[in-house]
Amino acid sequence: MRNILRVPPTIRPLLLHASRAPYHSYEHVQPSPYREAEREILSAGLTHVPTHGFTHEALTTGAKDVGYLEVSTNLFPKGPFELVNYYLVTQRLGLKDRIQFPSEKMGVGARVRSLVLERLRANVDSGVQPRWQEALALMSLAENIPASLRELRDLSDEIWFLAGDTAVDSSWYTKRASLAGIYAATEVYQTTDQSADFRDTEEFLDRRLEGLRTVGSAMGNTMEWVGFQGGALVNLLRSKGVRI
Amino acid sequence: MSTFAPQAAKRLRLSLPATTRQWTCRACAQQRAAFSSTSRSSEQQTTDRKSTRDEGTTHFGFSTVAESAKASRVGAVFSSVASSYDTMNDLMSLGIHRLWKDHFVRSLNPGIRPAFAPSGEPRGQKILDVAGGTGDIALRHLDHATNINRDSHTSVIISDINPDMLAEGQKRFKQSPYNRDGRVSFLEANAEDIHTIESNSIDLYTVAFGIRNFTHKDKALREAFRVLKPGGVFACLEFTPNLSNPVLNAIYKRWSFAAIPLIGQIVAADRDSYQYLVESIERFPTQREFMGMIKEAGFLIPGERGDGQEHVGWEDLSAGIAAIHKGVKPA
Ligand SMILES: C[S@+](CC[C@H](N)C(=O)[O-])C[C@H]1O[C@@H](n2cnc3c(N)ncnc32)[C@H](O)[C@@H]1O
Ligand SMILES: C[S@@+](CC[C@H](N)C(=O)[O-])C[C@H]1O[C@@H](n2cnc3c(N)ncnc32)[C@H](O)[C@@H]1O
Repeated sequence: MRNILRVPPTIRPLLLHASRAPYHSYEHVQPSPYREAEREILSAGLTHVPTHGFTHEALTTGAKDVGYLEVSTNLFPKGPFELVNYYLVTQRLGLKDRIQFPSEKMGVGARVRSLVLERLRANVDSGVQPRWQEALALMSLAENIPASLRELRDLSDEIWFLAGDTAVDSSWYTKRASLAGIYAATEVYQTTDQSADFRDTEEFLDRRLEGLRTVGSAMGNTMEWVGFQGGALVNLLRSKGVRI
Repeated sequence: MSTFAPQAAKRLRLSLPATTRQWTCRACAQQRAAFSSTSRSSEQQTTDRKSTRDEGTTHFGFSTVAESAKASRVGAVFSSVASSYDTMNDLMSLGIHRLWKDHFVRSLNPGIRPAFAPSGEPRGQKILDVAGGTGDIALRHLDHATNINRDSHTSVIISDINPDMLAEGQKRFKQSPYNRDGRVSFLEANAEDIHTIESNSIDLYTVAFGIRNFTHKDKALREAFRVLKPGGVFACLEFTPNLSNPVLNAIYKRWSFAAIPLIGQIVAADRDSYQYLVESIERFPTQREFMGMIKEAGFLIPGERGDGQEHVGWEDLSAGIAAIHKGVKPA
């Protein structure tokens, strides 16, 4: 808990989820928060990330691809971070279409594992994985941390939802916060993974999930858990050079 | 920030007996000395130009005047302050306006880097700086394009309703390489009607500390939309009617109402003109209202999407004394 209190006040609620009603609408309609012009420019921009990285160049080239001007990138006050955020949002919303669970018998835990792996695979398929450290660097800039953490929380929520977890008990916050931490750590690991087919990333994930299973059952106090995971996140960000 | 107003007051007190030279370098002073005000003739001109318009009323500071009279009174104000204009700006914003202008231009990133200028396409950007006055913003545009983006093709049209202000700008650019290379030109025009500028021809339209003087801001915005290319950007730097912090707001208001007219009297021996400037700030729409007007004119508002957690749609400067608004014309 000490760690989380050191987090700037604007970020605290993102880690704690405290005042939030369960975010997920079970009708499951999630319109893209982007306007058409933004969608066009940003998705064109993403196609240039493998060559230009998450940079102003990629954004500008994308804008010009779809009939906009150099100067039109003023539409994006956060510059290249908007590319990152757009990528995160679209991959989160697209996750449900990337995966079909073959059998009803598959447990929630196994589904969570598949969903995380599938989401990580998207980084490879879309060609951004070799550039992902640039994205992490942008996400860890002070002004971008709130949006990044919010997106991480929403991804965690989406994964639990798609995994079919419908429990609305006291474990709700715990599960979401822990998965967020595990996902973030695994994604960082993925950026440096040299193994074939990202086998090492998969093993890394399995170790973390195993840890969650054993520690998680013993950990009764929700807030302690959230504090712990919040601390883990903060440490992770610190390791990326963020001063919080 | 809380020491802001007292400091300013101290600065004011200290400077009262002195002349304005304290804030002006030799070059500026020479520039200004070379200027004798031709306010009478310009006032005449603007009145003639306007006299056929139908009679509504509008506000001139806090006094309501016939619309046809506003443009000419605004013209007169700026004629009477033209020669001490930069000094006044320094005093009024406590010198911060330079930083704001730097930030404004840097955030717009004018100019096109060579990597993005494929041969065959016309090179550089066409920038229109409306209410450009003494060319402060235009000079920054050209410097940024040239030095930061290595673009020696981008050009700026400086437009202003007031020939005295333009003349001051012309003086400033006379010796500059930008003038030699034909990268700067001047246009005397009311921002509400810039028909001499072709539709869809401008990459970037800027207006700094000018729009609050326009009688019909909506008309000016529509003109901006018209002249911009699809994808072109409208950008405005302006004082705001209210600071975001109510305590600072009260302090700043007292400072601006009491001190600025006084400074005006000292600097330009024209208390009424400065009173007008202060009051015109009070009458300016709030950030949210102004964002609505830009949207109304057809622009996309940067950052307007958002989730209520961040400040969106405009950028406040210095606790909200001034703000930057932008709009992008959809392609
Ligand atoms: C000739 S410059 C003006 C050029 C500038 N581009 C403008 O906006 O007009 C005048 C500025 O230089 C500053 N200045 C005057 N004397 C100075 C000095 N001795 N040392 C440093 N700055 C000085 C003043 O603060 C004043 O704002
Ligand atoms: C406060 S000055 C700003 C000058 C310059 N942009 C700057 O930031 O230093 C306002 C300018 O707006 C001009 N102006 C006022 N009403 C105008 C109108 N209707 N159309 C064009 N310019 C106008 C004035 O002549 C004056 O030069």
